Amino acid sequence: MSETAMTRREWLLTDRPQSRLQARLGRAYVTWRRFAANRLAVIGMLIILGLIVLAIFAPLLAPYSPYVGDLAKSRLLPPDAAHWLGTDDQGRDILSRLIYGSRLTLQVVVLVAIIAAPLGLLVGTVAGYAGGWVDAVLMRITDIFLAFPKLVLALAFVAALGPGIGNAIIAIAITSWPPYARIARAETLTVRNSDYISAVRLMGASPWRIVLRHIMPLCISSLIVRVTLDMAGIILTAAGLGFLGLGAQPPLPEWGAMIASGRRFILDQWWVAAMPGFAILVVSLGFNLLGDGLRDALDPRGSSQ
Amino acid sequence: MNRETITVRVRPLLAGAAFSLLLASGGMAPAFAETPADTLVQAWAIDDTITLDPAESFELSPAEFLGNGYDMLVRLDIDDTTKVKGGIAESWEVSEDGLTYTFKLKPGIKFASGNPVTAEDVAWSFERVVKLDKSPAFILTQFGLNGDNVTEKAKAVDEGTFVFTVDKAYAPSFVLNCLTATVGAVLDKKLVMEHAEARTPSDEYKYDTDFGYGWMKTNYAGSGPFKIRDWRANEILVMERNDNYYGEKPALTRVIYRHVKESATQRLMLEAGDIDVARNLEPGDFEAVSKNADLATTSAAKGTVYYISLNQKNENLAKPEVREALKYLVDYDAIGATLIKGIGEIRQTYQAKGVLGALDASPYTFDVAKAKELLEKAGLKDGFSVTFDVRNTQPVTGIAESFQQTAGQAGVKVEIIPGDGKQTLTKYRARNHDMYIGQWGMDYWDPNSNAEAFTSNPDNGDEASVKTLAWRNAWDIPELTGEVKAALLERDNDKRAEMYKKLQQQALDTSPFVMIFQQTEVAGMRGNVKNYKLGPNFDTNFLAPVTKD
Repeated sequence: MSETAMTRREWLLTDRPQSRLQARLGRAYVTWRRFAANRLAVIGMLIILGLIVLAIFAPLLAPYSPYVGDLAKSRLLPPDAAHWLGTDDQGRDILSRLIYGSRLTLQVVVLVAIIAAPLGLLVGTVAGYAGGWVDAVLMRITDIFLAFPKLVLALAFVAALGPGIGNAIIAIAITSWPPYARIARAETLTVRNSDYISAVRLMGASPWRIVLRHIMPLCISSLIVRVTLDMAGIILTAAGLGFLGLGAQPPLPEWGAMIASGRRFILDQWWVAAMPGFAILVVSLGFNLLGDGLRDALDPRGSSQ
Repeated sequence: MNRETITVRVRPLLAGAAFSLLLASGGMAPAFAETPADTLVQAWAIDDTITLDPAESFELSPAEFLGNGYDMLVRLDIDDTTKVKGGIAESWEVSEDGLTYTFKLKPGIKFASGNPVTAEDVAWSFERVVKLDKSPAFILTQFGLNGDNVTEKAKAVDEGTFVFTVDKAYAPSFVLNCLTATVGAVLDKKLVMEHAEARTPSDEYKYDTDFGYGWMKTNYAGSGPFKIRDWRANEILVMERNDNYYGEKPALTRVIYRHVKESATQRLMLEAGDIDVARNLEPGDFEAVSKNADLATTSAAKGTVYYISLNQKNENLAKPEVREALKYLVDYDAIGATLIKGIGEIRQTYQAKGVLGALDASPYTFDVAKAKELLEKAGLKDGFSVTFDVRNTQPVTGIAESFQQTAGQAGVKVEIIPGDGKQTLTKYRARNHDMYIGQWGMDYWDPNSNAEAFTSNPDNGDEASVKTLAWRNAWDIPELTGEVKAALLERDNDKRAEMYKKLQQQALDTSPFVMIFQQTEVAGMRGNVKNYKLGPNFDTNFLAPVTKD
């Protein structure tokens, strides 16, 4: 480590931050150190970073077109030097399809997180802070959504909206916000009567301002952990919908749909179903490891400082 | 090659895993058990069987049960399927004016119950079908029969003579072909009426008896080589030799159908010897079975064709050049060699192979240059976009994806809309699709069935009463419709066949139907099963000749 790095480190770890920025950076640095100490979590993060790189550079990385294959000549070829992961029943290169499929997977995960997490956060904090009948109504709606198995409810939504990757994302988002609402509400209940909230209220802040500026930020860390841990579930749900033919439309290389079309060859051409299955496994594992690491790093209760 | 080593290494593992699953699921016979020597055990997806009543049954698997359990007046000649031969009838005559058919019954034959088969039973069976009026009843009522006149038009003159009167001078081959359908099965009147229940006549149902309708759903009253002894829905169907059968008696004492849905499961059971015949093998499994020295395979072309249809309400698809261009954009050879290998044969005409007047022509090949030329002529040089409704099952999804790729080469952008069978079919029936890939099975073994479906459209209005496939694609063809009608009344068999050939040729040139393939039914069986042969339709999958060494 160089001299400057040492000083920068000291600057970050100082007990008396000179500015708000320094305090925040210092806090982030501590969190990162705790996270980086967990080797599995780093592996998970690398997997996810790898997925993102694959998605961004798919056209450069994929050796063949993911959509066009040669039905007559290259159908169901086993893995070899030309096709590292073999070819599928339309003669398309499975590796190329997996690489392009990472875009869909990422798209699903990101969009679901963007839709479901804020929705759950809003519902939960409002319910927790307002209490009374608002709380009762919002939580009973949440209960109703929680009463259905996630995949079955998503299936019903997709059936109503029509198949397609966009509708699958909406369906998954609609079904995955209730747990976030529950978490946000629980967090809100623990802080709503604390002194600093009362202080803000005495200063004349509106309920909306209190919820948005003073309660939500406190709920975010536990929410991030939960969302990351749910990513694996979201990928599996998306894959499940694809498997049932209700997710991505052909010829999109959605991993679940790829497994579905490879299932017919499972006894003799195992690689057609196994490769996308393996991809789903690796990415789900990556998100789980990352989520675990994040929980350890972000959870203030678990901190030993 | 590489592939071999991998396959060999992995297959036993997977098979073992799947097999232990089978065992764990319970109710399965122990591994490597042999089936009894006098019993044929078949694994088949029989979940489409909803009734065993010939007057109502119109599905695939029960057609086989009824075809073996019952006898009709005439049967399809399995050696030349453009002809019929006697069933219960020994001989028949058509009157000069073509309206009256007189059948002489074989003397001294009996039902499985021991009751004699008489012309009275035949007449009553016809009456029962017409009066119950279930889905397949149209096969008989199209000859002008209805509840009021059926006792006059289908009549027993004496013990051994049955007279059938039709309303127009139809081609005799048409009438006789229709009588081979399972709906023409002859029932044991005495036995069925013992189980008939009284009904209160109403406006919808004018008769005071149910003609044994409730009882016949799960029971048997026929005279075929096998008796249907037992049926438990989605589980098992047992047939037993009918010792009262007049013809050559089956060598087998018993035939058992077990409901097994998955192809891979059937293959594992067949390899283990738990079953003698596997009926739902998919191409991959079929290939593996055919390579196994202990097993044998058989196949037969069936009366089901697969096609892509182009809705003429779409202005691009309505252009004749576009219709022709799309016929050049299917990679027939590759599809035939891969996606449908073992389950179908490429066929570009709409009549099934083996039916009277079927045209065996396949002028189209995969030709992008030719298609582009035609598209340019249609003013669509840069191609166009179109949606494609596809049921999310195989092989149609595979074919649709292949077509999506090959059509893309000529600039036709195809958007596949996947859906389950009900969704896509509902949309298709309402004429709301652009393109649709579907299958069409013949209603009865006569060229009129498909000719009417594909090349007849009496009224192209949205509220038409007759909704043929041509109607579903808004293909307005008054001339061809007239030709189909004329062929139905042509009494000279050769001329009639010629007329159907001409219709198919016209459809080949101009129709909005891109015909792809004719389905082949396959079966894998143990090496000791002999004479197991599949027929052109399901009621002719005869089991009587089958033997086991």
